[in-house]
Amino acid sequence: MTRLTTYGYCLLTVLLFSAAQAAPQKCLLCHGKKDLTKQEETGRTVSLYVDTAQLQMTVHADRDCADCHIDIVEIPHKQVRKVNCRRCHYTGNPVGAPEGELYDQYEHSVHGIEVARGNPRAPVCQDCHGSHDIIRHDLAASKMYKQNIPQTCGRCHIEVYADYRESVHGMALARGIMDSPSCASCHGEHNIQRPEEPGSKVSAANVTGTCSDCHGPMGVASKYGIKTDRTVTFEESFHGVAQMMESRMVANCASCHGYHDVRSHDDPKSSVYPDNIPATCGKPGCHPEATVSFASGKIHIDPKSKESGILYYISRFFMILTASTLAGLFVFIVLDLFRRARKARAKR
Amino acid sequence: MAERIAKGQQRQKELVDELVSNIMETAAPLIDGETSTEALDAAARDVHERIQFEANLALSEVVTRFSRGKAAEKEAEQKERTFIRFGPNFRAQHILMFVSVIILIITGMPLKFPELAVSKFVVISLLGGLENSTLIHRIGATGLIIVGVWHLFYIALSRTGRRDFFLMIPRPRDIKDFLHTVLYYIGRRSSGPRFGRFSFIEKFDYWAVYWGMVIMIGSGIILWFKEYFPKYLYDIGREAHSDEGLLATLAIVIWHFYNVHLNPEVFPMSWVWWHGKLSEEEIKHHHPLEYAKIVEAEREAIEAEQAVPQAAGETSDTLGKET
Repeated sequence: MTRLTTYGYCLLTVLLFSAAQAAPQKCLLCHGKKDLTKQEETGRTVSLYVDTAQLQMTVHADRDCADCHIDIVEIPHKQVRKVNCRRCHYTGNPVGAPEGELYDQYEHSVHGIEVARGNPRAPVCQDCHGSHDIIRHDLAASKMYKQNIPQTCGRCHIEVYADYRESVHGMALARGIMDSPSCASCHGEHNIQRPEEPGSKVSAANVTGTCSDCHGPMGVASKYGIKTDRTVTFEESFHGVAQMMESRMVANCASCHGYHDVRSHDDPKSSVYPDNIPATCGKPGCHPEATVSFASGKIHIDPKSKESGILYYISRFFMILTASTLAGLFVFIVLDLFRRARKARAKR
Repeated sequence: MAERIAKGQQRQKELVDELVSNIMETAAPLIDGETSTEALDAAARDVHERIQFEANLALSEVVTRFSRGKAAEKEAEQKERTFIRFGPNFRAQHILMFVSVIILIITGMPLKFPELAVSKFVVISLLGGLENSTLIHRIGATGLIIVGVWHLFYIALSRTGRRDFFLMIPRPRDIKDFLHTVLYYIGRRSSGPRFGRFSFIEKFDYWAVYWGMVIMIGSGIILWFKEYFPKYLYDIGREAHSDEGLLATLAIVIWHFYNVHLNPEVFPMSWVWWHGKLSEEEIKHHHPLEYAKIVEAEREAIEAEQAVPQAAGETSDTLGKET
């Protein structure tokens, strides 16, 4: 009896001391098996296998299963609820989980709003970041690694992904040009909003600014021999001016160049390939009566540059004409006033 | 006017004095000698009648005086001659033109300087967005085109228009006048040049507007109907429209406003655009050669008029002789 008690105490002590380490081990008794699956109501088979090696690489390597899966209190367990990341990742949390406005932004993003409305297809954190495979986003294995973001988003936005993959941006990123934009570069991350929302980075009002981040005079595009005066010439064009005047009917970058399927102007599939420009200008709602000749000639043209030919000389001509005419008239007025002043003084 | 009032008051005083002395004359013998009540009553009646008569006389005199005064004033007005500088047709052209141009500047300039807060205020807050401002701009443009076509008809078909157009054509004399003016302004000549109907300054203004109209309407039509023009023409049109628009605006605001508003001689505004008239003094001062011509023409006309009745008399005489 006493012997049994002693064994019992020993076992209890060991169990108590090793509880923290033992818990994953315990879970992995089942979840370490590669063939552990469950059948969902829809008939889909879901793997319940947890790769321990991968788990050790994640940012949550030192966490226990139950730290996230708080609803599991018994084994075996049946229905497991989705993990709520906000349990730790909230502003002022005591466990040292990263926090900040990024985490709050999500709730106001299109994804967060849809989730709050009860849309079962809208993504929560782990749909993008993964669950047992959350790795720092600067590591190539991360779902949030720049080159992997298109696939991550593409799991849901599959048609967009198909367009993007063939676009100049998608191809460059796949080739390893890390300056090329992924989805998040244009759409944002936690703060993604519908393009119709005025606050969206890709709304009609903001898309020009978003493109300009890279294609503007200070932009990274210049590194690759891409002209960066395009945003300036756009702003000076009627389209650009109208945009400044808050007209949303006029063309922005994406109206002509496309967005997910932006292609080089050398690509015959591009909307700005010379042969396709008349059709692009003639889009319904833009210039449907446009003729082929309407679209002939340079588009992003800068009258201040000598390359613009006759336009440069016309601009120059008017500059000289205006300056000389006004200078002449001004001198004439001043002389006239002097004469009057002299006359008035003489009278006195 | 004040002189006339003083004269009227003087006359009124004279009349009253006359009246009083007349009445006193009538009443004196009656009051002096007689003492019977009947005689006094008769005298009072007499005086009363007399007063009534004199009052009526005075009233009628004042009335005739007054009406004659108005006529006299009219006469004096006619004596201070005015000369028609711009006829109603030309003034109407100018009014339509400046209304159109003001509309065009207000809706056009913001697009030249879109980054300015005032531009955004005008287009977005004041006019309710670009769609409205471009529509209003086209309304202004229609007005300007109408003026342009109207003026072409005016200088082709109207007699005054044709005459003025030919007078507007620059001549070598204008260069001389210009140099003369500059020398006068800097004090090297004691007086300015003597101008005809249009000085070189007015000719410059006219042709500047002519040039501006051609450029603005020409390029504006390309911009308006851009879909039917090639892109390079659109680019040229836009550049020209934008640059000439600024030049025209500055020329109007600086030069034209100085001449017709800010110039000490006319400040705050010359009203010629409204009534189209110049006083004799003004025309003598600003257009002495034109004035000389008018006077000469008038003299000839009077001489001809004097010659006509003579001739008519002669003919009637001869006719009489014949019959």
